[in-house]
Amino acid sequence: MRIKLTSIMVDDQDKALDFYTRVLGFQKKHEFPVGEYKWLTVVSPEAPQDTELSLEPNANPAGKTFQKAMFDQKIPLAAFEVTDIEKEYKRLRGLGVVFISEPTKMGPVTLAVMSDTCGNLIQLYQPS
Amino acid sequence: MLLTNSTFRSLCRARQLLSESTEDSLTIKTIAREIAISHFHFIRQFQAVFGVTPHQFRIQSRLEQASLLLAMGECSVSEVCMAVGFSSLGSFSDLFTRRIGESPRSYQRRARSMVQVPGNYPPLQLFPGCLSLMGSLPASAFRNFQEARPTALR
Repeated sequence: MRIKLTSIMVDDQDKALDFYTRVLGFQKKHEFPVGEYKWLTVVSPEAPQDTELSLEPNANPAGKTFQKAMFDQKIPLAAFEVTDIEKEYKRLRGLGVVFISEPTKMGPVTLAVMSDTCGNLIQLYQPS
Repeated sequence: MLLTNSTFRSLCRARQLLSESTEDSLTIKTIAREIAISHFHFIRQFQAVFGVTPHQFRIQSRLEQASLLLAMGECSVSEVCMAVGFSSLGSFSDLFTRRIGESPRSYQRRARSMVQVPGNYPPLQLFPGCLSLMGSLPASAFRNFQEARPTALR
């Protein structure tokens, strides 16, 4: 058994695709219509055969409530590994990304937290 | 941009105010003043964090509330229009049609044909308006509505 797919709720799939590809640098893997929404996934260009991230429409009121509560409590809903967190932090800030926490060493990792503009906080981490 | 804890809290509070506001008198400037951020910075920071301007967010919130109320079918289109904060039925219908893809009346008919709202709620007459009704419902009340809509793969 392998983990090949995970998902994150987004408030707007088009906006999410722009942020996750143009800003974060992921690549679109799948996009096809499903009713009024899309099955939309992205992968890392560094590991395109690795886990896919589904940008899932957050249309359920219960999901919206959960997402908002996690955001307000500053709890990230996903974490992405980077090899040079300081470099990524500078690059993303240059692209207008908002961070609520700058790179901070926390035990065996260095962490930073940013907004994905789609209702989520995302954690970037660099293992020591 | 690196937000301080206090600015982050202020923007979350502004988002809450915008989603709850059904009064046009609560302007974006008023909200900026309420959270003690300059008007210009408020718009810029809100957009950078949430991906939309405060005005766009408020419109989206109102249309989402309107969609739910229409799907429940207890209120007329006019009542929904007023309940979520639009003052003109024409503007509401135009905007709803452009964003949702069909008129409020057509959306309501289509949604009602698919929705079965459970009947174990308090009597409707206890609630003065549609918005109160919506606020009183548990999240599970919308379960059937969401299941009935075309949804993405999960």
